[in-house]
Amino acid sequence: MKTKFLSLIILFGSFIMVAQDVTLNGSVLDASTDGPLPGVSVVISGSQSGTTTDFNGNFSLKGVSIGDVIQFSYIGYITQEVTIGNPLNLMVYLQEDVESLDEVILVGYSSQKSSNISGSVSVVSSDDVEKLKPLRVEDALQGQAGLNVISSGSPGGKPSVLIRGITSFSGTDPLVVIDGINSSLFDMDAINPANIESLTVLKDASTTALYGVRGGNGVIVITTKSGNKNQETIFSLDTSFGMQHVTKYINVLNASQYAAILNEGSVSSGGPILFSDISNLGVGTDWQKKLFEPAPISTTNFSASGGGDKTTYFLSAGYTSQEGVAAGGDKDFFDVATFTANFSSDISDNLKAIVHTKYSNLQGNGLGGNQIFNALNFDPTVKQMPFEAYGMSSTITQEVINPLAGVSNSYSDNKTDKLIGKIELQYQLMDNFKITSRLGYSSVWQQQKGFTPLQFYGIGHNRTNANIDLTPRTEDDHNRVSETKQNWFNYSYELFGNYDFSLNDEHNFNVFAGFTIGKGTNNGLSGSNVDVPFNSWTYADLSSASGGMEDQSTSSWQSVSRSVSLMGRVEYDFQEKYLASLTVRRDGSTSFGINNKFAIFPSASIGWVTSNEEFFNSSTIDFLKLRASYGTVGNDNASPQFGTISTFPKYTFGQTIYSGSTLLGIPNNDVSWENQTQTNIGVDLRMFDSKLKFTADYFIKTVDDLLFSPTLSLYLGIPSYPVANIGKTETKGYEISLSYGDEITENISFNTTFNFTTAENLVKEINNGDKYIWGSGYGIPYTNLTQFRQGESPGIFWGYKTNGIFQNQADVSNHATQSNAQPGDIRFVDVDGNGIIDAEDRTKIGDPFPDFTLGWNFALTVSDFDLAVFTYASVGNDIFRGYERGLNYTNKFASVLNRWTGEGTSNLEPRYSFVDANNNSRASDRYVEDGSFVKIKNIQFGYNFPETAASKLGLSSLRVYALAKNAFTFTDYTGYDPEISNGGSPVLDTGVDRGTYPSPSIISLGLNLKF
Amino acid sequence: MKNKFFNNILIVILSLGFFSCEDYVDYEASEGYTIVADDYFKTSADYEAALIGTYDVLQWNIYSIMIGDIASDNSLCGGESATDVVGLQKIDDMIHDPVNDQLTSTWKWMYEGINRANYLVENKDKMQFSRKAELYGEVEFLRAYFYFELVKIFGDVPLFTTSRLTAGDSATLSRSPKADVYSQIEKDLQAAIAVLPASKSTDGRATSFTAHALLGKVYLYQNKFDEAANILEPLIGLYTLPDNPQDVFLTSGENGPEAVFEVQHSKNSNWWDWGFPQGSEGSFGIIHHGIRGYNGTVYAAGWSFNLPSKDLFDAYANGDKRKKTAVLDIVAWAAETGAEYTSAYEHTGYYNHKYIPRAGSSAAQQELNYENNYRAIRYADVLLMAAEANNRKSNSEDTKAQNYLNQVRARAFGDDSKASSSTGTALTSEIWEERRLELAMEGHRFFDLVRTGEASTKISGFVAGKHEVFPIPQTEIDISGLIQNSGY
Repeated sequence: MKTKFLSLIILFGSFIMVAQDVTLNGSVLDASTDGPLPGVSVVISGSQSGTTTDFNGNFSLKGVSIGDVIQFSYIGYITQEVTIGNPLNLMVYLQEDVESLDEVILVGYSSQKSSNISGSVSVVSSDDVEKLKPLRVEDALQGQAGLNVISSGSPGGKPSVLIRGITSFSGTDPLVVIDGINSSLFDMDAINPANIESLTVLKDASTTALYGVRGGNGVIVITTKSGNKNQETIFSLDTSFGMQHVTKYINVLNASQYAAILNEGSVSSGGPILFSDISNLGVGTDWQKKLFEPAPISTTNFSASGGGDKTTYFLSAGYTSQEGVAAGGDKDFFDVATFTANFSSDISDNLKAIVHTKYSNLQGNGLGGNQIFNALNFDPTVKQMPFEAYGMSSTITQEVINPLAGVSNSYSDNKTDKLIGKIELQYQLMDNFKITSRLGYSSVWQQQKGFTPLQFYGIGHNRTNANIDLTPRTEDDHNRVSETKQNWFNYSYELFGNYDFSLNDEHNFNVFAGFTIGKGTNNGLSGSNVDVPFNSWTYADLSSASGGMEDQSTSSWQSVSRSVSLMGRVEYDFQEKYLASLTVRRDGSTSFGINNKFAIFPSASIGWVTSNEEFFNSSTIDFLKLRASYGTVGNDNASPQFGTISTFPKYTFGQTIYSGSTLLGIPNNDVSWENQTQTNIGVDLRMFDSKLKFTADYFIKTVDDLLFSPTLSLYLGIPSYPVANIGKTETKGYEISLSYGDEITENISFNTTFNFTTAENLVKEINNGDKYIWGSGYGIPYTNLTQFRQGESPGIFWGYKTNGIFQNQADVSNHATQSNAQPGDIRFVDVDGNGIIDAEDRTKIGDPFPDFTLGWNFALTVSDFDLAVFTYASVGNDIFRGYERGLNYTNKFASVLNRWTGEGTSNLEPRYSFVDANNNSRASDRYVEDGSFVKIKNIQFGYNFPETAASKLGLSSLRVYALAKNAFTFTDYTGYDPEISNGGSPVLDTGVDRGTYPSPSIISLGLNLKF
Repeated sequence: MKNKFFNNILIVILSLGFFSCEDYVDYEASEGYTIVADDYFKTSADYEAALIGTYDVLQWNIYSIMIGDIASDNSLCGGESATDVVGLQKIDDMIHDPVNDQLTSTWKWMYEGINRANYLVENKDKMQFSRKAELYGEVEFLRAYFYFELVKIFGDVPLFTTSRLTAGDSATLSRSPKADVYSQIEKDLQAAIAVLPASKSTDGRATSFTAHALLGKVYLYQNKFDEAANILEPLIGLYTLPDNPQDVFLTSGENGPEAVFEVQHSKNSNWWDWGFPQGSEGSFGIIHHGIRGYNGTVYAAGWSFNLPSKDLFDAYANGDKRKKTAVLDIVAWAAETGAEYTSAYEHTGYYNHKYIPRAGSSAAQQELNYENNYRAIRYADVLLMAAEANNRKSNSEDTKAQNYLNQVRARAFGDDSKASSSTGTALTSEIWEERRLELAMEGHRFFDLVRTGEASTKISGFVAGKHEVFPIPQTEIDISGLIQNSGY
C-alpha cells in the first residue's frame, strides 16, 4: 500500500492539472453490511484537501477536478482510490481488510500495521474499554495476555500491574506513556477511562527497547481520543449510578462464643473465669456488619468532539464519585473530576500543532479501610452505644479499638490536582519524512491535612490520650493537626524524525531517530502543631492550633532527577513477507553511580509472514506469521549515591537538647541499571475468514545485575546501605490469546476471547551472603513473612510447616524437641531434621503468585440488545491470613470452635489458652490458604433504542445499560476477597491479607446518549 | 527557506543534546540540600555534632537494662500476654533464642554507637581545635560503654576501633576473645581518664570521674579487684547519698549529688516515630514499666513489664527505705488511694518503682517520651563496687569494705543499726546481697549474678556454661558467619 502511494505521488508529479473545480458528493458504505461508515477520510490524492464522512457516511468535497484520484481510507478497511470521471454522486463500498486487519498499532514514537509487527504487543481498544467501563484504566488491562493485574477494592486504590512476571522486586510498575508523555501508574487515576482511544501494552524487548532503561517492566501506551476533521460536533453523555455491597463476611466469634473461649483460655492458663454468666450475652455486636454499609457510586462523562478543515478537537468533562463500603461518607470515599482538551491544528501545509491538556482533581480518604482490622478483632460483647458515644473494651488495651470509634476519630483531607499535557509540532519535511518536536509535562499538586484528636478508648489503652470527657489527661496530652503540601513536576522534551521509504517497491523501510531530555522534581513542605480549638476537626488547621514552639514541627524535602537519551529504530520488510527491526537506545541518568552514567540497550526482531508466500495456499488459514525478538532493556531503581551526613541525631545534656550528626548513607559509585535480556518467540494466526484469531508467545527474561540493598552484617550499625547490582532472576512464560467472532444471523453476532497467561519467576542468585532478603510481614509484633530467596520464586511465604496436633504426651516426646509443647499444641515439622524445632526449620509455605491467569470476554449482540461479560480467573495463588491480632481479649476466628480439647478431638486447630508457650501462632502454613478464584468481574447489558426513536428525541443514539461489577466470586478463600491488593506497595507484599479492603459488588444503571 | 530554518534548529538542538548530555546527568548532592561526608569535619562544630550523635545511641539502649532484671530472680517479664514482646518473655522463661528482636536490636544499636565513635576516630586528623583532646576522651568513654554492654551480654564480640565500617566490611570480621575486648575497653577508659576534666558530671557528659567509675566496674567484671579498688578509690567522698533513696529516682533527683553517670532524657522534643520508638529524646523504656489499665493519681498507665518478684519484695528487711524505692505494691496503693488497674500477664502485684511512668513526666507521644534519666552508675554502686574490690583484692582491706558497705546501709535505714562487721567471704556475700537490694530494678542483677558465679543457684533454669551469655543474633550467624555461643 505504501509503495502504491509512493508511485502515485511520482505519477502525480508529471500530471498536468486542468483547473475545473467541482463539488463531489457521495457516501461511503461497508461492503459487507451496506451500513454507512462515518469518519472515513476522503482525500484528494497528493494534496492536503480532504474531508471525512458524517454519521450517515455522506461527504461533500469541494475543489475536485476531473481526473483527480480520491482516496478513501478507514481503519480496518482496505483503502480505495477512485479516479473522478463524472462528478456524480459517488457510492463507495469499502472492504473490510481481512488480510491485514489493517489495525494500526501505536508502538511508541510511531505506529505500525499489526501484520508487520515482529514484536509482542497487546491491544485494548476503546470498544473493549467501553464494555468494561472500568473505574481505573488499569482494570481494563486485567485478563489481557501477559498481564497480571490485581485490582484494589479500596476506592481509588492503585492496583498492582505486572507485565510478564517479576524480574525485580524493586519497582515492578510498567512505564505508562500517555499520548507520548512519560507517566506512571500513580497518575492513571487522572485519566478518565471514557477518553481512552486505545491501550497498547508493549511486552517484548524489541518493542520496549525504545524506552531503554525504563522499559524493563513493559510499557503501557495510552492514546486518548481526538476529533476528526470536517466532522460535525458529536456530543456524548454517559451517566450511571450504582450501589456497592460487601457480599462476604469473615466468620468471627459472637459474644457468647467469645466469652466461652476466653473463659477456657484463662482457666487453662491458671487464671480465673472471666465471664461467670455467658447465657445473657447472646450474639453481641457484629462489628463487621456495623462497619460495612452499602455505598453509592456514580459516574458522569460528557464529551464533544469534531473538527473543521484544519482543526480537530476533543473536549470532555467527567466526574466519578465513589463512597467506600467501609465507613463511607467523608471518611471513606474517592471523587475524581477530569477535564480534557485535545486540539490539533494544521498551521500550514506541512506544519501541524497538537495540544493536549488533561486536568484532574482528586479527593479521597481511605480511613474506613484502617478499621477493618479493628472490626475483625474487637470485643463482640461490647455494645454499640447511641449517639456519639462508642462502647469501649475494658480488657483490650493495645492497638485494637472499637472500629466505629476509630472511624469517628480518624480525620484527613486529601486533595490532589494533576495537570498532564503536551505541546507538539509535527513538521512534514518531505512527504515521507516527518519531524516531531514534543514538549510533555505533568504536574501534580497534593495537599493533605490530618488531625489526631484527643481520644479515649478506655483507661490504660495504649491509644488513649484523654480522659473519658476528652479533656487531656495531663498537660502533655494534646490533639495534633498536620498539613503537607507537595508538588511533583516532570517535563520531557523530545525531538524525533520518522522517515519511510522503499527500494524497488519491495524493500520497505521505516526509520526513526530521536533525542529526549527530561527532568523530574519533587518538593514538599509539612508542618504540625497541637491544641486545635475544641478538639474539633472543624477547626483543625495550623492557623488555629495554639501549641507552643516546643510542640510545633516543620519539615521539607526535595529531589531532582534528570535523564538524557538518544534512540533509533529501523523497521524493514520485504514484500510484507519478511520482517525485521533493529532498535537502540542510549540512556544517561542522574540515578546511576558516577562510574556508570550511560547505558546502551539494543534489540532486534524478525518475522516471517508465511501466509504471504506464494507457496502458501490454504483456504482455511488467512494469515500466519512467525516472529522472534531478542534484546535488552533496563530498570533503574537506584537513586543518586552519596555518603550523606544526617543532622537528625540529638542528645540531651541536663535539660537542653543538642543537635548532633551521623553518617547516614554510604555511596556505591558502581551502581548501575538492571540489565534485562528478553527472548520472545510468537505466532499469529487467523483462520476461517479471520473469524478465529490466535496468538501465542513464549518468553524468557533474565536479569544478571539485579539492584537491591544487600543484607549486611549487623555490626555495621544502622546506616542505610546502598543498593548494589547483586542478583540474578529468570522469568519464563506463555501467553495465548484465542478469539472467535461471528455473525450468526443478520441480527445476532457474538465475539469471545480467551487470554491465558503464565509467568514462572525464579530468583537465581542473591549475592548478599545470606541468599535471601525478607520482603514484608504482618502483625504485632511484626513477623517477617515474604522472601526473595535464591532458588525460589519471588515473594514466597516463609515459615513453619505444621503436621497436625500433638494428641498426647507421647506424641510430644516422640517428636523433635519443640520448646514448651504440650498435648493440644501444633506439631511443627523438623524440616532440617536436626531434632530441634527452631528458626532453621522455616521453609516455603506458600506462593502468592498464580500458576496461571485467565481472562474470558464474551460479547453478544442480538438486534438492539448487547451483552458483555468479563470473567477473570487466577489459579494457584496462595494467601496468608495476617489479620488476627491474637491478644488474649481480642476476638477470635470461628475456627477456634473446632479446637483440640482432648485426645482425638482435633488434628487441625490447637488447644486454646491465654499462654501460648508453644507459639502456635507463629507464621506457619496454618495461615496459608489457596487463594485461587474465578470472578465474574463485569457484566454489562445494554439496549440501543432504534435510531428512529432516538431521533425523535433529537438524539443520534440512545442507549441504556445495566452494569454489574464483581458480580460473582468463586473461591475457597475464607477472607473477604482473594484479590489482595496492598495499595500498590512493593511486589513482595503480594498475598498478605492484613484485613485488605474487599472489592465490593457494584450494581449500576446507566444512560448513554449522543447528539 | 522554511526547511532550512527548521534544519538549522534541528542541528543546533541535536548538537546541544550530544555535547551537554554528559554533564546534564551529573548530580550534586547540594541539589537535594544534602550534606555530604566529604564536606564534613571542616569546623569544630562538626566534631561536636558527631559527638552528640554518638551520645544519642545511649538513649536507645533500653532492653539490656530490662534484661538485667528480667533474666534474673528480681522480676518477671509481665506485659499483656505471653506473646507480648516475645524476646523479653523468652529471656524470662530461659528460652534464649538466637532470633530475638530485643537482643538483636541491642547488638545492632551498640554497634551503631561504636561505629559513630569510630567515625570520629577516623576523622581525627582532619583538623585541630581547642577542645579536641577532651572531645576524643568522651568518644573513648562512649565506645568503652558500648563495648562493655556487648561483652556483658554476648561475651566474645567483633572488635574494631579505627574507622566506621562500610558495606565492604560486611561479613569480614570474626569474634574477638572477651579478654581482647576488655583490654580495649580498659585502654579507652584510661585514655579518657587522662584527658577528661576531673569533675563530676552534672549534665550527663562523661568526665574523668565517670570514666573512673566505669573502669572500676569493668575491672570488677574481670575479677581484677586490685585494679578496681585503685581506680575507684579517688571517687570516695566526692559524691554523697541523699537521705531518701526514693528521691534519687524522681525527676527532681536527676543529676543529683549521687549521680555518677546518667543517660539523659527529656520530654521536650516533639519528634517521635513508632517505627523507631527509642529515637525520641524521651525514654521508651519507661512506658514498659507502667501499671496496666491504671486510673489514678501520681502514676500513669503503661505496659506492665519487668514486674518485681515476691522474692525480691520479701528480701527487704523492715525499715529498709529501698523496698518502697524499688517496688510499688500496687494492691496496697490501690487500696490506699482508690486507684484502678487491671492484671498484667504474670501479675505479681508489684511494679518497678524506680522507672515507673509518672503522671506529667512525658509529653507529645506519651509512650515514647518519658523524661526519666537512666541512672547508669550511682555513687551507691561505686561504694558497693569499692567495697567488693577491697574485700576481694589480693591484700583485702575488709574494714574499708565494711565502711563503704555501711555507708549504703546507713542511708537505707536512716541509721547505723544495720552496720556490718563481717569479714572475708561472709562480707563478700553481704556485699552481693546488698547490691541486689540497692540496685534492684536498675538492670544490674543478672550480670552481677553471672559475674559472681551465683547465677546457677539463684536463677531457676540457669544452665552453667551456657546462660552466662546470651545467643548472638541469628542474622550474624547467617550473614556474618560468626560462631554462635556454645549451647545455643
